Amino acid sequence: MALKAIWRRLTSLDRLVVLLLLLGVGAAFVLVGQRPRGAQVVVEQGGRVVFTAPLREDRTVSLPGPHGETVVAIRQGRACIAGASCPNKVCMGMGEVSRQGEMIACVPNALLLHIEGDADDETKDYDLLSR
Amino acid sequence: MTSSAVDPAELERIRRRIFLALFIALAVALHTLEALLPSPAPWFRLGFANILTLTALFLYGGRAAWSVTLARIAVGSLFLGTLFSPGFLLSLSGGVAAVALMTGARALAGRRLGPVGISVLGAAGHAAGQVLIAWLLLIRHDGIWTLFPFLLLFSLGTGIANGVAADLLLELLRGHPAFAGLAAPPPGEDEA
Repeated sequence: MALKAIWRRLTSLDRLVVLLLLLGVGAAFVLVGQRPRGAQVVVEQGGRVVFTAPLREDRTVSLPGPHGETVVAIRQGRACIAGASCPNKVCMGMGEVSRQGEMIACVPNALLLHIEGDADDETKDYDLLSR
Repeated sequence: MTSSAVDPAELERIRRRIFLALFIALAVALHTLEALLPSPAPWFRLGFANILTLTALFLYGGRAAWSVTLARIAVGSLFLGTLFSPGFLLSLSGGVAAVALMTGARALAGRRLGPVGISVLGAAGHAAGQVLIAWLLLIRHDGIWTLFPFLLLFSLGTGIANGVAADLLLELLRGHPAFAGLAAPPPGEDEA
């Protein structure tokens, strides 16, 4: 079997290195997965903020870009690119984001979608509340 | 008239130089070919060119590996028209991190670490170097690190694949008469 042939090519230190790196990948996934949930979606285009919306409400919006329309959808506290005019659809394949600091980039349309704020502490976003 | 009474050391040196040039040419070809392949995201590169870096590292030592990588990135980027662009910077930082790790690991572990182990280390170094430089210079945003685990996992797979490919190539080359007189230089004391 091919897998066996590959296994025989590895020295024991090779196997150790692969195992350690695999553990490292696991640790990295755990670390990233522990980020707190974000509060709002911010979409930047060429460095300018073109759209912001809270993650709490479901909505869909279409944003124009140099290559055409990009459809940003917020569903059940998660944001994703639901439609894109670019040929590769890389951004659609990047899935959904909901945690602080996560982002989706759409290169042809120069869009950068990222999640900001802390869902557990909404009031932090306000400088002051006046009544 | 071809002279047959050449100093064997001189002959070996010339042979080594020619093969190194061939490795660089092949690495550039793979680098360029790879850029034409569709990729899920800009940073997910298959790193086939690393096969030639590994081959150079195992046949001719650390300095040869540096030459192959740096020349490959410079010439490859020239071909692709990305020289000095952000993509080039990422390619260069990834390449430098990868070769630094690979030559370092080879010098430390020597024969105990085979092409696959070195390749996997290099691939992980490539991923880490790229994300670090992207984060430092291009996108000062912590979110970029969320991409890192995926990149690392992907690099682990390509690292193993490239390592096995390099191992096969090394086996093939070492069986060839042109490399017959070539004992693998002890790690650390290479001259390229």
